[in-house]
Amino acid sequence: MNSAALSFDALQEAVEKLPDGRLAASRRAALEHLRQHGLPTTRDEDWKYTDLSSLVDIGNQSIECDSDRSRSPELERQIESIKRSIEADWLVIANGLIDDRSVRAFDNANVSVSRLSDSDAELEYRAPLSDLNTALLHDGLHIHINANAGLKRPIGILFIDDATIAAGMSQARVEIAMADNSDASIIECHSSLGSARHYANSVVKLVLGSGARSNYVRIQERSQHHDQTGRLSVDVGRDSEFNHCAFDLGGGLIRNDLSIDIAKPGGRTAFDGLYLIGDRQHVDNHTRADHRVGPAESQQEYRGILTGHSRGVWNGKAIVHAGADGTDAAQANHNLLLSDKAEIDAKPELEIYADDVKCSHGTTIGQLDEAALFYLRTRGLSRHDAKQILTRAFAQAIVSKSPIDAIHGVLSEKIAARLGELMGGATM
Amino acid sequence: MLQIDNLKASIGDTEILRGVSLDIGAGEVHAIMGPNGSGKSTLAQVIAGHDDYRVTSGSVTFNGQNLLELEPEERAREGIFLGFQYPVEIPGVNNAYLLKAAVNAKRKHQGLAEIDAFEFLKLAKEKMALLGMDPKFLNRGVNEGFSGGEKKRNEILQMAMLEPRLAILDETDSGLDIDALRAVAEGVNALRSPDRAIVLVTHYQRLLDYVQPDHVHVLSAGRIVRSGDKSLALELEERGYDWVREAAIG
Ligand SMILES: Nc1ncnc2c1ncn2[C@@H]1O[C@H](COP(=O)(O)OP(=O)(O)OP(=O)(O)O)[C@@H](O)[C@H]1O
Ligand SMILES: [Mg+2]
Repeated sequence: MNSAALSFDALQEAVEKLPDGRLAASRRAALEHLRQHGLPTTRDEDWKYTDLSSLVDIGNQSIECDSDRSRSPELERQIESIKRSIEADWLVIANGLIDDRSVRAFDNANVSVSRLSDSDAELEYRAPLSDLNTALLHDGLHIHINANAGLKRPIGILFIDDATIAAGMSQARVEIAMADNSDASIIECHSSLGSARHYANSVVKLVLGSGARSNYVRIQERSQHHDQTGRLSVDVGRDSEFNHCAFDLGGGLIRNDLSIDIAKPGGRTAFDGLYLIGDRQHVDNHTRADHRVGPAESQQEYRGILTGHSRGVWNGKAIVHAGADGTDAAQANHNLLLSDKAEIDAKPELEIYADDVKCSHGTTIGQLDEAALFYLRTRGLSRHDAKQILTRAFAQAIVSKSPIDAIHGVLSEKIAARLGELMGGATM
Repeated sequence: MLQIDNLKASIGDTEILRGVSLDIGAGEVHAIMGPNGSGKSTLAQVIAGHDDYRVTSGSVTFNGQNLLELEPEERAREGIFLGFQYPVEIPGVNNAYLLKAAVNAKRKHQGLAEIDAFEFLKLAKEKMALLGMDPKFLNRGVNEGFSGGEKKRNEILQMAMLEPRLAILDETDSGLDIDALRAVAEGVNALRSPDRAIVLVTHYQRLLDYVQPDHVHVLSAGRIVRSGDKSLALELEERGYDWVREAAIG
């Protein structure tokens, strides 16, 4: 159940087989870091509730990233269907490999897209699982958005994995630099197909220049036997704005880490999320906001709906470092437990080392409001429908906060469909 | 239409209804009055099917059917409507959505097709105009942030859309301004017909000036202690409840 299970000989061999080039040095350094620190285990406070050992097994079976695996027609179909359902300029990473066609087709004068292997920058690998990601990374994407550019269409990044042929593990990496005063919507979409097991590990870094604004939505709808660890780190620029909303609708074992680093004053960040968790699923959301200077805001609200034998974890940490006066940090987490076999560990953590700060947190765990259920039933709605309606309304509060208006409709549909599955068939 | 016979109901170990009998015929308007805490809302909730209350004896029959066997939604689809004394706020559920779902649940039960979206909107706006409600209320969450009076008007709007066979309005007149009271009364009068019945739970004569009841009952400590015609309400207004309570004991 710990790093000992990871086969370093196999890792070493896999790393050496990857194409040589500018990433090679980072890979070797990351491998060394991984060898020293291992993967997180449940003995680490931040990983207490999420055990990665089953992922290590998948990893050991399929460490190699075979770049010539041909893409199945099912994969092509799923990619097309996602692109059609959400209006955006799409970049695709399939099984950890950059889809060249999507890069070539990407056409926006204000955005340049390149491969990480074309740049000299060293990759950051010191966060948990970032070392694994860097060591085994085939290649990643770098997206640069020009200063003062206001993008009309969102940039979509599709992380998709195909386990129809064999079990697998994939590493995906994206770095996004938004120059000063740029304004862009970004959609991260995680999807998968196939009945073999799969473990996907993604690392995304977003750097906001002064006055930049990013509206960011992450949609995770992997199939039930596919696992994921995903990290999004954000450097918040002076007077910049980061509005984020995450939707975890699928997956088997899912762990998301969102880190917000506020080192320049005037930043406004809002990060919200919704997780729908059904039988045998485990979804863990860890967020961390480092307020190093003030004034700045971080506001978060995560909501969860749990059914069946499921497990949810929410941990929201805000650290207000010494001198970060004028910090305004609020955390909220609300959970709806629709089954007595569902379990949630919800933990807000505030560490405050500055004087002039405004911080609050609130966590609730509850069932549906019986008075509201009765009211709806006296209007002729069945108990089942009344439950669905109230549950959807609970979820809808997050959809309405989601910063990209154009996809509210798609999100509501996806959520209604998923709730229908989780709650035993939609009748309305 | 509705026969209540020696109905007893408890919550936990406390008996609240202690043998209520009431006969409500089609076409009739009944008023139920009585002191605070006497069990008026409890009676209304038991008729609507609230399962916090345990019926320990007696029967409730609606058009020949044993009402106590039906789920709340089945009672609603059979044509029973309860206007709540304290309408529930349901944030995030659109008022129009609920109205339409309620209308369609009933239509489905009657074997009718779903109401056409255009027709629904037209009808809802018509009813709202009669009640002096701004159509904007359609797009708000159900009762979410509504003022006390707005909530009561919203109850009447639902009633007007659903056209129930039996409407029980639990203090719908409380907290209304004079115009709203008149609008609500007009809503109730519009519903009056030979095949419908209306039960008004109220503390005030004011509503009964607009909607003249055929029968007035006084509920006290879980029992109906006196019944009469509309003059009973006037008498109560003058003499208070002690007089009926004493008369009942004596
Ligand atoms: N859930 C409950 N738990 C305990 N007691 C209850 C509960 N619900 C009602 N009661 C009690 O039952 C009695 C009857 O209440 P009810 O609401 O029916 O009175 P009411 O006649 O409608 O009064 P009002 O005129 O104030 O509306 C009251 O004493 C009330 O406190
Ligand atoms: Mg009452």
